[in-house]
Amino acid sequence: MLISVTCKACEFDFQVHARFAGKRGTCPNPECGRAYRVPAPANSSPANPSAAERETQTRTTARRWRVGGKIGAASLAGVVSLLMLIVAMGGKPDASPSGDGNRAADDKTAIDKPTGQQKKQPAKNDELAGVSFDSHVSPFLQKYCYACHGPQEMNEGVAFHIFKNEKSLFKSRKLFGKVISHLQLGAMPPEDHDAQPTKKETELVVRWLDRTLFDIDCNMVDDPGRVTIRRLNRSEYDNTIRDLLGVDFHPAKDFPSDDVGYGFDNIGDVLSLPPLLMEKYLDAAETISEAVVDAEAHRPKLVHIGASKLKMSTGVRYGGGDLVGLSSSGEVFQTFDFRADGQYTLRAEAAADQAGKELAKMQFRIDGKPIKTFEVLGRQRQVTTYETTVTVKKGSHRFAAAFINDYYMPKAKDPKDRDRNLHVGSLEIDGPKNGGAAQLSAAHKRLIFVRPSAKVTVRQASEQILHRFITRSFRRPVTKAELEQFVKLVEFVVKQGDSFERGIQVAVQGTLVSPHFLFRVENDTKPHDPNAKHTVGDYELASRLSYFLWSTMPDEELLELAGKGALHRRDVLEKQTRRMLKDPRSRALVDNFASQWLNLRRFDNATPDSKQFPMFTPELQADMRTETEMFFEAVMREDRSTLDFLVGEFTFVNERLAKHYGLTDITGNNFRKVSLVGKRRVGVLTQGSILTLTSNPERTSPVKRGKWILQNILGTPPRDPPDGVPELEDPKPGEARTVSLRKQLEIHRRDPGCASCHDTMDQLGFGFENFDPIGRWREKDAQILIDSSGVLPTGEKFSSAIELVRILSKRKRDFSRSLSKKMLTYALGRGLDFYDKCAVDDIINGLERNDARFSTLILEIVNSKPFLMRRGDAGAEE
Amino acid sequence: MSRSKLQRRTFLKGLGTTMALPLLEGMRSESAFAAPSSAVAPTRMALIFFPNGAIMPQWKPTGESGPLELSPTLKPLERHKQDMLVFSGLTQHHARANGDGPGDHARNASAFLTGSQPFKTSGANIRVGVSVDQAAAAVVGKQTRFSSLELGIVRGRNAGGCDSGYSCAYSSNISWKSASTPMAKEINPKLVFERLFGSPDDKQAARGRTRRNLYRKSILDLVSADASRLRDKLGKTDRQKVEEYFSSVRELELRIEQAATKSVKPPKDFVAPSGTPRDYKQHVRLMYDLMALSFLTDSTRITTFMLGNAGSNRNYQQIGVSGGHHSMSHHRNDEKKMADIQKIDQYQVEQLGYFLDKLKAIKEAEGTLLDHSMVLFGSAIADGNKHSHHDLPIVLAGGGGGTLKMGRHLKFEENTPLNNLFLGMCHRVGATSLKTLGDSTGVLKGIEA
Repeated sequence: MLISVTCKACEFDFQVHARFAGKRGTCPNPECGRAYRVPAPANSSPANPSAAERETQTRTTARRWRVGGKIGAASLAGVVSLLMLIVAMGGKPDASPSGDGNRAADDKTAIDKPTGQQKKQPAKNDELAGVSFDSHVSPFLQKYCYACHGPQEMNEGVAFHIFKNEKSLFKSRKLFGKVISHLQLGAMPPEDHDAQPTKKETELVVRWLDRTLFDIDCNMVDDPGRVTIRRLNRSEYDNTIRDLLGVDFHPAKDFPSDDVGYGFDNIGDVLSLPPLLMEKYLDAAETISEAVVDAEAHRPKLVHIGASKLKMSTGVRYGGGDLVGLSSSGEVFQTFDFRADGQYTLRAEAAADQAGKELAKMQFRIDGKPIKTFEVLGRQRQVTTYETTVTVKKGSHRFAAAFINDYYMPKAKDPKDRDRNLHVGSLEIDGPKNGGAAQLSAAHKRLIFVRPSAKVTVRQASEQILHRFITRSFRRPVTKAELEQFVKLVEFVVKQGDSFERGIQVAVQGTLVSPHFLFRVENDTKPHDPNAKHTVGDYELASRLSYFLWSTMPDEELLELAGKGALHRRDVLEKQTRRMLKDPRSRALVDNFASQWLNLRRFDNATPDSKQFPMFTPELQADMRTETEMFFEAVMREDRSTLDFLVGEFTFVNERLAKHYGLTDITGNNFRKVSLVGKRRVGVLTQGSILTLTSNPERTSPVKRGKWILQNILGTPPRDPPDGVPELEDPKPGEARTVSLRKQLEIHRRDPGCASCHDTMDQLGFGFENFDPIGRWREKDAQILIDSSGVLPTGEKFSSAIELVRILSKRKRDFSRSLSKKMLTYALGRGLDFYDKCAVDDIINGLERNDARFSTLILEIVNSKPFLMRRGDAGAEE
Repeated sequence: MSRSKLQRRTFLKGLGTTMALPLLEGMRSESAFAAPSSAVAPTRMALIFFPNGAIMPQWKPTGESGPLELSPTLKPLERHKQDMLVFSGLTQHHARANGDGPGDHARNASAFLTGSQPFKTSGANIRVGVSVDQAAAAVVGKQTRFSSLELGIVRGRNAGGCDSGYSCAYSSNISWKSASTPMAKEINPKLVFERLFGSPDDKQAARGRTRRNLYRKSILDLVSADASRLRDKLGKTDRQKVEEYFSSVRELELRIEQAATKSVKPPKDFVAPSGTPRDYKQHVRLMYDLMALSFLTDSTRITTFMLGNAGSNRNYQQIGVSGGHHSMSHHRNDEKKMADIQKIDQYQVEQLGYFLDKLKAIKEAEGTLLDHSMVLFGSAIADGNKHSHHDLPIVLAGGGGGTLKMGRHLKFEENTPLNNLFLGMCHRVGATSLKTLGDSTGVLKGIEA
């Protein structure tokens, strides 16, 4: 029997199977998605809705997250979660509302499922206690919004009078997401509206809407999310080619930039594939395959050089350049590239003018050493080919045909017997006869480990080679059908008369432009069902790991474990993760994660004013970047606490940078670790790179420094300033600053609209004022003594950068959350959604248990649900 | 040698590549490039974007519609006065916030040629609209080896956010093949040249080209079959990505086919660019050269060019302006800053003049290449200080194949969609089947001859 349910939140009516009574589900209305509890059947004892409601309420309070405004609203619609929906639509009655259908998958992931035994906390937002739709929200809308968005006018198609109660709001989450951001921005009501809400009024309404519409319950939401198919980005492409073929060149350097989303350039949604890039892929694949495979490896190669391109020690070119005439002793020569050790046939086309007793003699020489001498017949200039075979070592050699018996008797009776000359038409080499296998590159030999022979057909050899190669390229076993296409391609090439190696070359080129190589494909059994959650396959997991930690393809060990189906085992996964972190390839986390998290890539474009800061040379700039990279790498390699990013009392300098920082006793160009105990610097925030990239060219910018900290350290980026906010007035060129920056900013903050963000931002920035725009210590700015003290809105006071950093480092959870979110975004290749907050929370808790160690951060991510699982796709939001 | 002589020599040397183009003029008859086969020259379209808006009082002609009186900023175009139209009143409505909050620069670039509201996102669901160049290229692009060419001066930003919650895709691209696929731009002149004409040091490769193209085709056949099987297994969002793959592969296939029948060589005296000039002006001019070259050789009829990414903060020290362009554009009516910005505006107009010179110098059919082109120069921000998106700075130069009545200032009613002008331009390059473009409400009246 079925129970009729009406969603309390949105009033959507639907039915569920009676055996789900008392269980939890999620409203099937795509605009709602709220959690509810299935009431008891109508004919049994009356349900106690208040009890059920109370329980849901408590849980909601226990593990609740704010869903980020509009994004949350948009995404919620995609979480038509749990299988209740299917029941409602009369679908598969076996499905269970608690997600049992996916239990097998869940268990396999070895994820700690939320126990639901969360500590019960009292509701925190007490200031919302008396706030309700009727008491505050509706009056607010009437007073401040109806004039343009109400019964009289419906500007932009928006009207608020249609919302009669709290429940009605749930149908228009997206709209209210926008309402919230407009109110926060102060964009609405417009300035010229008569009635303007007070800050307090707006805040209450915003908070209430936010909590009511966008809070979620981690016990209810069980969504691993879904990453859009990812194209390899430029660095991943280069690294993958390096590891796949063992050649180190960087074909991606000419590829167009990968667009950045969520702060990183490995985001599936943002990585597009315009025709220009496809063209570059095809070109690069050709270049790479030709660099790796020597198509003519086993073919003797004939190099023919005609007279016009021959060099000569004496003589004259004539006959339209067809012949070189030697009228006295001398040689005709050219340097040839002998591609391998082996036997070569040397040939020359020659003719002679005869005189005297001897025939004209032509001597072949290699690097000046005589090889063989021929007697050249004939008086007419009819050329004949002379040849000999000789063993030559690989390399460039000078091959010459010399005229060695000149004869000149101008007074001889017979005019035809007066002058003996040699004429050379061409030189050529042909070989090596015995193949050049020994000289082939290691990459060629690794790839082509078998060749067609009497016993092995082209097909068989291709199959063996390509099975291995394509499997590695696709990062999973190649299917029979796929392999067959490429084998056919080789056969086709061979049929055209080209070599087997050329065939492999073409197959390699084809593999490198295949979507299975260029994209990281992950399969779903039900690609269109957003509720079909499942763990990713073992090979897919191997790629997730390797592209996360190494920015490259999985190595043999990972692929082997994936082949055994063992990679998902928690112990194996941990062991592999630790192994990968120790591997030099994890340097990719520095190059790709750290450089984007800390904005080091933007530092490369920093251009401090060269008049003021002539000492800021490209070398110093490179040193600064090296310092930060080595610092990050040290935290990673030594598995230090991630809090060391803030408070690590060490850094890496060479002589140049040490001098810049005022550190003594460091000599030479080599970087070394130095202790900062008792110094004025600590962690990344006082490193030259960060201090410079957060400065203007001519002066420091406390605002930028503060904003950088909010964004990258505390994870609370300030909202954008309204349009048209001016920059600070700088003194005219050549004039000294007369009012301190601090003073100027104070004036600026008198505007309450600015103050709300700048109070925090500016204070944070002031703490670093003792560091100039290129990170040097200073006591004064122009003639004004620096005051680097400040008070945070929370009341904490500081008098120096070090003290400020220590205050920041006490906000462990904020920092951990910020770092975890960045790292998780990078690891997943997608922006985080509201449901990921639950995973982030688990990561933070893990960090708290393990002294915030770097390896913990990585392991927690690797073990998180979004990393191990995926689901089907409901399609892009409209 | 005197110092000035030395400098001049170094200067000429540095300009080696850019100086090459004047030679093009005499080149037309004797070289081996494929000239448009019909006696009637085709009409081309170049769409050029500059960032951060302009100092409008100096930019705009005053008064009503009528014969063109050049404003101070446009003065460098004096010699082309009879070959251009300057517009007042055109608007790119979707560059406005329309409820999406800040981010005018990202919207400026992404709405400029699309006339569509970009969906505000840092990554997921990037969506704006098909840009006019791509809408036209979809119809007429097949007639040339490259359906379109996308050029720029700087790469997209590669770390951090770009503009107030908009993905960097919005601020570094003006050309959109589909609502979700931006057309990446090429910024290296050398690579542009090699795309158009092949690598000059690639003689060996040239010999095996037929065979090579045969194999390329086989490869593309194979991988598109693969992609089509893959597509069937994917969810909706992933499919869109594989669609991009498909359409890019199709484009390549077409190009290979065309390469077999149309072999195009650059004029003999055109010196292939050796890389990216460090100097901004040289870089810009070299890109203009290449645009002229691509038109001249009929390699493409549609190009877009970004003189900078949206919100560019470039420093124009070479013209005595110090300070970032974007920072300064919020000038709050500070006279010094406004004067500096105006210098930048005029500097860009001078470079445009260089491009128009090139086109005008090339004789083609009964006229010049400029007569057969439409060069649109503009931005979807008018006042950079206030971020206004109406009454935009828009110049259209070139005769459009005799279909435009030039030498005029045309003033339109407030909020006339810029896309109405674009729609008319698309019709002129042959995409007559297009009925609407973005927010167009019809073809802009009054420009025709």
